[in-house]
Amino acid sequence: MRYGTTIVDDIGNEHPRRNLSLALKGEIEKRQKAEPNKDVARIKSEFESLTKSANDYDKSLADVRREEKAFLAKAPERKIGFEKTVTDRDAKIRKWCFEAMESAARAEFYGQHIELSYDYELLARQHRMIAEQLPDIASVRRKTLNELEEVTAELERAKQEDQSQAKAEFQQYRQDRLDQRKEEKANLKKLYKEGQISSKAFENEKRQRDLAASEDIRAKKQLLPVEMLSDRKRYLKHRLRHDEKQAITVLHSDIADLRRKTPIEISKRFPWVSYLTISVPGLGQLMLGQSVKSIFFFIGTLYAYLIAIPYALGRGNYRGQGIFGLISLAKGGSRLDRSDIFMIEGVIAIILLVIAFLIFYQSFRDVHKNEKRMIKGIRINNWFETRTVAKRSGFPYFASAPSALVTLFIVLLPIAVTVLISFTNYDPKHQSKFSWIGLANYKQIFLGEGIAGKPFWLITGWTVIWTLFATSLAIFIGFVLALLVNQDRIYGKRFFRTIYLLPWAVPAFITIMFFSIMFSPDGPLTNLLHQLTGQIINIKDSPWGTRIVLILLQGWLGSSYVFLLCTGILQSIPKDLYEAANIDGATGFQQTRHITIPILLFQTAPLMIGQYTFNFNNFSIIYLFNGGGPFEPSKYGNTAGSSDLLISYIYKLTIQKQFQGIGAAITMIVSLVLIFITWIGFSRSKSFREEKL
Amino acid sequence: MIKQKKKGLYLSDRPPLTPLKTILLAISYILLFAYVFVILWPLAQIVLSSFNGSQSQYIRIGGTYQFSFKHFKFLFEEKPFLKWVINTIVIAVATALLTLLFVSFTGYAYSRYRFKGRKASLMAIMLIQTIPTFVGIAAFYTLHSIISAAIPGFSRQMFLVLIYAGGGIASNTFILKGYIDSISTELDDAARIDGCGNFQVYRLIIMPIVRPMLAIIALWSFIGPFLDYMLPSIILGDPEQYTLATGLYTLINDSRNMHQPAFAAGGLLTALPIVILFIALQKQLVSGLASGAVKG
Amino acid sequence: MKIQLNNIGKKYEGRENFTIRNIDLEIDDKDFCVILGPSGCGKSTLLRMIAGLTSITEGDLFFGGKRMNSVEPKDRDIAMVFQSYALYPHMTVYENMAFSLKMRKERKSVIHERVLEAAELLQITEYLYSKPSEISGGQRQRVALGRAIVRKADVFLMDEPLSNLDAKLREHMRVELVRLHQSLETTSIYVTHDQTEAMTMATKIVLLDQGKIQQVGSPTLFYEKPANLFVAGFIGSPTMNIFRGKIKHGHFLSSEEDFVIEPKAKDRELLKPFEGKKVAMGIRSERFIAGKADKNAINVKVDVIEMLGKEQLLYCQFPNGKECVISEPGYFEYAVNEEHNFHLDIEGLHFFDEETTERIN
Repeated sequence: MRYGTTIVDDIGNEHPRRNLSLALKGEIEKRQKAEPNKDVARIKSEFESLTKSANDYDKSLADVRREEKAFLAKAPERKIGFEKTVTDRDAKIRKWCFEAMESAARAEFYGQHIELSYDYELLARQHRMIAEQLPDIASVRRKTLNELEEVTAELERAKQEDQSQAKAEFQQYRQDRLDQRKEEKANLKKLYKEGQISSKAFENEKRQRDLAASEDIRAKKQLLPVEMLSDRKRYLKHRLRHDEKQAITVLHSDIADLRRKTPIEISKRFPWVSYLTISVPGLGQLMLGQSVKSIFFFIGTLYAYLIAIPYALGRGNYRGQGIFGLISLAKGGSRLDRSDIFMIEGVIAIILLVIAFLIFYQSFRDVHKNEKRMIKGIRINNWFETRTVAKRSGFPYFASAPSALVTLFIVLLPIAVTVLISFTNYDPKHQSKFSWIGLANYKQIFLGEGIAGKPFWLITGWTVIWTLFATSLAIFIGFVLALLVNQDRIYGKRFFRTIYLLPWAVPAFITIMFFSIMFSPDGPLTNLLHQLTGQIINIKDSPWGTRIVLILLQGWLGSSYVFLLCTGILQSIPKDLYEAANIDGATGFQQTRHITIPILLFQTAPLMIGQYTFNFNNFSIIYLFNGGGPFEPSKYGNTAGSSDLLISYIYKLTIQKQFQGIGAAITMIVSLVLIFITWIGFSRSKSFREEKL
Repeated sequence: MIKQKKKGLYLSDRPPLTPLKTILLAISYILLFAYVFVILWPLAQIVLSSFNGSQSQYIRIGGTYQFSFKHFKFLFEEKPFLKWVINTIVIAVATALLTLLFVSFTGYAYSRYRFKGRKASLMAIMLIQTIPTFVGIAAFYTLHSIISAAIPGFSRQMFLVLIYAGGGIASNTFILKGYIDSISTELDDAARIDGCGNFQVYRLIIMPIVRPMLAIIALWSFIGPFLDYMLPSIILGDPEQYTLATGLYTLINDSRNMHQPAFAAGGLLTALPIVILFIALQKQLVSGLASGAVKG
Repeated sequence: MKIQLNNIGKKYEGRENFTIRNIDLEIDDKDFCVILGPSGCGKSTLLRMIAGLTSITEGDLFFGGKRMNSVEPKDRDIAMVFQSYALYPHMTVYENMAFSLKMRKERKSVIHERVLEAAELLQITEYLYSKPSEISGGQRQRVALGRAIVRKADVFLMDEPLSNLDAKLREHMRVELVRLHQSLETTSIYVTHDQTEAMTMATKIVLLDQGKIQQVGSPTLFYEKPANLFVAGFIGSPTMNIFRGKIKHGHFLSSEEDFVIEPKAKDRELLKPFEGKKVAMGIRSERFIAGKADKNAINVKVDVIEMLGKEQLLYCQFPNGKECVISEPGYFEYAVNEEHNFHLDIEGLHFFDEETTERIN
């Protein structure tokens, strides 16, 4: 970066350089750029007079530095002088008074050298500000302290005195007020009984009268001398704390404003600190003078060097080897070393490293930005300013950090592991040790080969049929029921709504399991079917029987939700739409077709898409009803049954039969489809369309 | 006030019924009542079998009916049913509280502050969460081992709570954010002028207003553990730690422990409070559901 | 309290340009200052900076000589009324009004007293224990005011407080607000885009456009001496008629050369430097005098008549299609499509430089 002949403050205003030797360098630099071929020595000779004044400047700056040192050294001496003039007892006030006087002295000292450097100008103005504001702050405190003392004394006196009369008066008032309330309430009750006000208004009014009475009594109680004085004392104490805090904050932010307006001149041209300290977050901040901020980054450093990096190298792991576990997958390890644990710990190591890297990057960026700003002429934030910024714009990050951390490990970690496992030969033969095999699992699935891959397309076919039919059936039933119940002339709407809610309200696992019991051989429904048809139909043994019953059952279970949703929307359709349609001569049927159904469809569409994805992944109904059965080994092999969905197939592959590798690969394929559909659902939802998120 | 309806006067706003409409209305009623039967019959079977003392291991229809509490007795005396109930309630309450803690902060932050990655992060997590994680569940075991090595006493149940609460963060944040979005930011400004800091604005102004939505979120997170069979069956090893869903499943999943009427009894006891809750709060629950996707 | 804005500017983070900049303004103690401007002119930003809800990028803000830039909104001794009233829905009216004092840990007896006092002043004592959702819009407006009054603030800030009320109530509240302002003896700053509100309520109007102050002054000044074409077009209903043209031999010649106006002597003097240059001439509708004259006359066809009772607005057309609005007393008889002669009152002419749009006379 260049010196430049001017510097810029934080607001963007340009200032002339005051440091003449830097100004000289800037001029020479400028000339060199204009005439790149010219000899450096010759250019320098052209600025002879400026060079001379730069030398003079350096000398006088050095003089002032010495003076400054001597002046600052005398501060304790001055303080002894101040101590004689201050009569206050309060430690804080004394401290402020000394500070103000010292600042006044400093303001005067630096005021003489403003021309030399912006630093002196800042110091002069800053100290003047302190010298002006601190005495005010002190006097406010002095006044409040005095008042507080008085009030405390008065309160003591009041406590000594006999308060019985005041108390009796208050009790009298309280009784009167309560009586009055009673009377008011009686009146209200009369009005209500006579039917002049509604029950809601009656309740409302009653509540309000209660509030009014208690508020009046409380206020009256506050007028008791002891109460009043102690309340006043509490108030003064609050003022004491608050006023002071606020005034000091104002002082700090006024100084911050000064800092923003007063540029800084440094001889550095290259932001080397940021590069030098890249490996130790916090060090750079410390070197730039942001000491408190550096502490936070140092904590980050500790985390990186004591937790993240050792873990990644294999220290402190549960079983694995940190990040190397991902490569080795416990190959050649002892019997206890399991590939999956090595992989998982590898992923955890990566997550920890990524967090560490983010800390490093943030720290580097922070130091780098600040250095570059300083070279330009902008003063970097002091702790007060940093804290203000962090409070203002840091809140969302602090607020969501715990959630982000939990999500990272609870949600993302298992998914990352799933992705990785899909590229391995994790199967019953390779339970403890498996290795990377690239895309072989995916190939098997697409070609429908192998034990696990064979039934894939069959199951996919049934999954699609299931999803479409089961969801559509539920939506159809829910829709029709909602339309029927919400007709004008249907009585007992509440009754129907409550009944129709039941399949949703009863925990699904209970109903599914119970249906499963009822359809078992000799189960109630099997017997019923027997009586009806005269044949023994064992639903659970027939593939299509199971499938059809599953679809019907999901229709039964899912319709409640659709019904409730549609009911909610139907009730919110404005009545005037129908009135308008009536006037236009539309029949009831036409109204339903052209108004009700389009509105319903439009408003529920995103949720209905959610229903399809839900059923696509509806593991529990399949698993709990018939365990995916009945089995047809000739078609499906040993693992899957004829009613298995992809999701339950994955479950069986991974949890029961331990074909984790291929299970993961199927998961990935299924997920891509699911994510796509879910994304469509989201992008159709209102909030997404309106770009509000 | 007209207390007596005068006969002969047509007071309704609706047009009078035509014969066709009368038939249609009758069909509507028939359909509605038919479906009422379809719903109530199986549910009634659960109730009936749970009180039928003449059944032992299997549920049969027909036969003699003998009213008795013996299946309930069996549940409480022979099986750790009470333990399951307590486990489930502890997990559910902890999940609800933890969810509220996470979500109330994120929901507020996502609604009121503009920061980098706001839109992308939420959307990405919600999409990624649709990936089923049977395969990755092994990661939970390992993660649990690591955490319990660092924090002794970190039980599997606590871990389950963390999984429930963590899994719900994204979608619940989305719902709460939508709700807070509908509150005018002028309220925040007014509160700031009245003397609130960042956190006070949330605690004193926003939170009381969004309390209904927080209640719905808490309720859903509370009900979740009652309904979920899968995660506890995988995460929890010890039958002593089982929740209701996993516990009840042990009554019907193999012939040795098979006791179907007891399952019905346990199901009834589980379902009853939840059903009552749903019926009492149906409006709020549905609005919470709908607002997540429609209003957002 | 006297409010002083010195060279105030605001640049939002992530934006290239200042939203508003170089705002210099002095609002005297007990002024009712209305900040007026079209939407998006930065008036709300300015108010929010004064309130402390938005930080000030550059410049200084003084309240009674004290620099306020870095003082938190709650410590600025201000009260603010919002467009949506911003009443806390979960608190009763009483709690709403007491909230700011409670946050300041004020003494309870003082809180009670002040709330009752304000409620009486605004006649909302009856609703003190109702929730905001249980009272009407006009009452909510009063509560919002009450909440501000309770603070006994020196500065009252109002952000389009009447825009949610219906026309009748708005008219009523305008009067009431002014009365309140006078009885409370505060300095009020009122933001609106409605020039009627500005003209009727303000003791001082600040007209903003595109982040710059267009004119500052009393309503009369705005009406009688608009500082530039924008002000001329913004203030007054119906808006001022503006004719484009140039100065020829000291006379104003319209651009279609269909009429010539001879300004009064004083104006002619000021118009001298503009000889041959493009100039816009403005005249308010009531400055047309019905009847023929030898000088400064126009002949127009009446297009639409808006009868307002005591006066009527004639929307007229020149033969070449140019339009103008003329107001005449209601009892004059006009009919649509009639042609009429008018002449211009040369005392009521406004001249603007077309190039800079600044006022000339």
